Amino acid sequence: MEQILANGLYLGAQYALIALGLTLIFALMNVLNFAHGQMYVLGGFVTYTVYAQLGLPFVAGLFASAVTLAIIGALIEYFLFRPVIRRSSREESTMLLAAGIAFFLDAVILLVFGEKQRGVPKIINGVLNWDFRLIMPYDRILIGFLAILSIVSFILFMQYSKTGRAMRALAQDRVAAQLQGVNVDRYSMIGFALGAMLAGLVGGLLVTITGVNLGMGGPTSIKAFMMVMIGGAGVISGAIAGGFILGMLESIGLSVLSQYGDITYLLIFASLMVFLSIRPQGLMGKPWG
Amino acid sequence: MNEMLKFDNVELYYDHVYALKGVSIDLREGETVALIGANGAGKSSILRAITGLSKTRSGEVRYLGKRIDGLNPAEIVKMGIAMVPEGRRVFPHMSVKDNLLMGAFTRSDKADIARTLEMVLGRFPRLKERYSQMGGTLSGGEQQMMVIGRALMAKPKLLLLDEPSLGIAPKLVQDIARSIVAINRDENVSVLLVEQNSRMALSISNRAYALSTGSIVLSGNSKELMQDDRIKAAYLGGDL
Ligand SMILES: Nc1ncnc2c1ncn2[C@@H]1O[C@H](COP(=O)(O)OP(=O)(O)OP(=O)(O)O)[C@@H](O)[C@H]1O
Ligand SMILES: [Mg+2]
Repeated sequence: MEQILANGLYLGAQYALIALGLTLIFALMNVLNFAHGQMYVLGGFVTYTVYAQLGLPFVAGLFASAVTLAIIGALIEYFLFRPVIRRSSREESTMLLAAGIAFFLDAVILLVFGEKQRGVPKIINGVLNWDFRLIMPYDRILIGFLAILSIVSFILFMQYSKTGRAMRALAQDRVAAQLQGVNVDRYSMIGFALGAMLAGLVGGLLVTITGVNLGMGGPTSIKAFMMVMIGGAGVISGAIAGGFILGMLESIGLSVLSQYGDITYLLIFASLMVFLSIRPQGLMGKPWG
Repeated sequence: MNEMLKFDNVELYYDHVYALKGVSIDLREGETVALIGANGAGKSSILRAITGLSKTRSGEVRYLGKRIDGLNPAEIVKMGIAMVPEGRRVFPHMSVKDNLLMGAFTRSDKADIARTLEMVLGRFPRLKERYSQMGGTLSGGEQQMMVIGRALMAKPKLLLLDEPSLGIAPKLVQDIARSIVAINRDENVSVLLVEQNSRMALSISNRAYALSTGSIVLSGNSKELMQDDRIKAAYLGGDL
């Protein structure tokens, strides 16, 4: 029991961080970022390069992942989404653009980093063993802790900083935000960069546990969308709830259902369909909170 | 008195339908000017053109001598124009405090912002009582006070108000009217007031323009307009 909870929490924290980035971009720009998973993978490869290949400290790798993805996010917003949103009034345009970016990033990752699974040296050795009720390697505990720390910092940033307040205002009422002097272009760019940065950060965190490979992008995007659907699109608390719920379900499924084969996600998808048909707006579905 | 705003022969279209066809108005420093007219006359469009929310097709908008048509809203707001938009547009999931602080978005002097906040809360004590409540859960009247307060937080030189009396109890309309007079007098703010409640608008303004289907049809001193038969027939017919 303790074991399932601990695994769920650890996984949920990573997931929530991914979902936060996705929901932020959606709330600010009404863009479904299908390339979110690829951004996560890219973050993993950047940390791999800096930490495993160049031999720099792990923190430097994390930092590099966050900064690289923030820059990539900003560039993507400026050169791709901004002109498309300006010229097109149809939402499908940005969806297709996002899908295109996902394929493009996959190709870039393949060219630059190859198709092999990559891992990094353990950041700390040792395993916490509490009476065999809860067994957890120290590196997982540390990564889980860092993820929770990032979530808390993100919430505090959105709640109390001037930039965070401006982004919330923009998500709640675009026209009113402009009338307070919020520059829509600038804050869309900041929001996209921040969302991409969160994806990169999780990539950097998780590469220490699961390693990274090219194929992880698509499935990660799908999981991120599931979390956002569970919690309610565009709502911070929803993304966090969705992340932890999915993490917990996966953890329960892996330990309880494993004797029946690999059916955890089959069940999760089936329940999600039922859930959404009853509550299509998700748990906390409202325009941003 | 110095000229604050000049709206010169402005045309504004939404797609292919005109909303303003050659409208000219002006406003001098310290004045309260009212814009009255029926639904769809183009009152809100004038305010949207001033703040850059809608692009004009031709004509000029000048503020303190500078051309501002073509600038984006953020730039215009920064120059000292604040607007209380039609339908209030509160930030529903933000506290009263955060709603007000958003109004000071273009400012950076923390001490000065704190002074303005104190002034706003002094003017609208109800907001102080509801300080941490979410904007969307306030009553209509409280929301109206909050968005006027939000606009004041920008420390504007020119305040644009779009139908502040809409959907508010008559008793509160008087309070709001008094606040507008007081703000204009004490805070060194010029006011451009759009109202369907013409009686209220004429009673608290120096001058007024009457608008009909995208053109100015009458203008002049508010007191005189209140006695004008055409105005009486068209706008003051129904009693409050
Ligand atoms: N976004 C828009 N798209 C198309 N037409 C619009 C738009 N906004 C306003 N209009 C039209 O422009 C004209 C002027 O509208 P405007 O909102 O300026 O009127 P108003 O005087 O403020 O009316 P009200 O008293 O009802 O608020 C109307 O005919 C309206 O239908
Ligand atoms: Mg209007």
